Amino acid sequence: MPKLLSAVYTILVINAIKLSAAFCGELCLINSMEKITVTGQIFQYLITGLTVGSIYAMVAVGFNIIYNVTEIINFAQGEFVMLGGLIMVFFYAVVKLPLIVAFPATVILVTLVGILLDRLAIRPIRHPSVLTLIIATIAASILIKGAAMLIWGKDPYDLPAFSGRDAITVFGAVIQPQYFWVIGFLIIVVIALSIFFDRTIIGKAMSACADNPDAASLVGINVQQMILLSFALSAAIGAVAGITITPISLMEYDRGAMLAVKGFGAAILGGLGSFPGAVVGGLIMGTIESLGAGLISSGYKDAFALIVLLVVLFFKPSGIMGSIEISRIKRF
Amino acid sequence: MLVIKGLNAAYDNIRVLKDVSIKVPKGKVVSIIGANGAGKSTLLKAISGLMQIKKGSILYKEKDIVGMTANRIVGLGISQVPEGRQIFAHLSVLDNIHLGAYLYFKRNNRLEITERVHRIYEIFPILETRSKQIAGTLSGGEQQMLAIARALMARPELLLLDEPSMGIAPLVVREIFNVIEMLNESGTTVLLVEQNARAALKVADYSYVLESGEIVMEGLAGELLDNPKVKEVYLGG
Ligand SMILES: Nc1ncnc2c1ncn2[C@@H]1O[C@H](COP(=O)(O)OP(=O)(O)O)[C@@H](O)[C@H]1O
Ligand SMILES: [Mg+2]
Repeated sequence: MPKLLSAVYTILVINAIKLSAAFCGELCLINSMEKITVTGQIFQYLITGLTVGSIYAMVAVGFNIIYNVTEIINFAQGEFVMLGGLIMVFFYAVVKLPLIVAFPATVILVTLVGILLDRLAIRPIRHPSVLTLIIATIAASILIKGAAMLIWGKDPYDLPAFSGRDAITVFGAVIQPQYFWVIGFLIIVVIALSIFFDRTIIGKAMSACADNPDAASLVGINVQQMILLSFALSAAIGAVAGITITPISLMEYDRGAMLAVKGFGAAILGGLGSFPGAVVGGLIMGTIESLGAGLISSGYKDAFALIVLLVVLFFKPSGIMGSIEISRIKRF
Repeated sequence: MLVIKGLNAAYDNIRVLKDVSIKVPKGKVVSIIGANGAGKSTLLKAISGLMQIKKGSILYKEKDIVGMTANRIVGLGISQVPEGRQIFAHLSVLDNIHLGAYLYFKRNNRLEITERVHRIYEIFPILETRSKQIAGTLSGGEQQMLAIARALMARPELLLLDEPSMGIAPLVVREIFNVIEMLNESGTTVLLVEQNARAALKVADYSYVLESGEIVMEGLAGELLDNPKVKEVYLGG
């Protein structure tokens, strides 16, 4: 399994390396700040790191939902985030809906894209192997990116912050209110998902499909429906991530690949399939990236997180929260 | 209740079932005995909808169920206990039991579900004491009981059992076969597939012998027990 995973990961990284120079996000903002104390600066990096990390965590959670039901790594996961941001821009700036209406409208539209992805790219494949399905998601992600470029062009777009941009200063660190929205939505997503998977019969049925699809259909579970639901759910979570991060780091058509790399890295770091692992993995990736960029060099920003990922996988191939037993059972 | 005629099934063009015809009358226990690889599991999978069929018909209550998906066939009252105790290993024992009644959760009847779980605990008391345990950590015998319990939660009229004695201590095998008899007495029709011919013939009313995908012998279970050929090949002389 680690071999295949690293192969998959290499593809993702190659895909994204072209973009890494362009993807500077809010970290550039930090570099322009001067004259604050060392503790203040570190605190600043931590807060920024946790915010970016929350987005990685949401992407990782999206990976895990689909992986848990199907064992597929959905390469189009980052495109859901990109679509979330850009469709929100469309509803807000073009249709002129208020934020509070544009938000659910965007989530619904991106969820529909997730459903279409399953219907058009995953389900029609006969005799699917996990690898063919993964390749189908790669194709889909290229298509989605191309369509986004045609619709929105290559420029980055901005959104207003949900509750203004009046930053608060804590210990000398400047914190935008939008940071709290991002972290808050991560908390909501995680709580809602744990209730869904631990308390509802549909959530349990989804886990059952992951454990044993044949046995699941023998108790009457429609496995196809559960796969569809997993795509819908991850698309919705991706949309939330995209909507909340756009006011901080803007959004453009080709951001998906990079987000997928970081999110997938977070998912493996935490242990593929584990939700607590996705959160921990995402926050660690974000924090290391931010600290590394701030304290050492922002040029190697993407390298820091990857080095940590490789080191962790070297010592614990199943990830921080992953169980070795489970990874043995999985085919991938 | 179940009438199978001229059933043919294949994996990638390798024929595994050749013109199999069997009958399972309502209220009876019918067993199919056969060596490893004879096609017993394939036959059960064909009935429960997990396996595509090339030719033949499967009539359940006079209705042809060939081509129906597995998750719809359960709703008709046919539950299969798959071979090798395929429980949901990462879920708790109680979750496994609950999922057995998955189709009935949708109708929103909590009381009914609780009542079914209590009935299961009467049949397999050990599952009550283990209800919070992760199913994959149960012993082999307990997992088999759980697999049966999960199938019973759907209150099937026809229960398909695939080698319930496989890899289980003799004492537990006896307990499981007692449960099969008890279920049958309370009205469940049973189709039992076994390599353990002696145990299967003891509990069954009628029996078929499957060899390389073909039915080569059939008869009342008591008669087959005394049949010299069956004795030699399946009962160890
Ligand atoms: N998934 C499969 N793909 C290909 N061949 C299979 C598969 N499952 C079973 N077979 C073959 O079909 C034949 C019958 O298998 P099976 O029905 O499992 O027998 P039994 O349950 O009686 O041991 C065997 O020769 C086996 O090798
Ligand atoms: Mg078998």
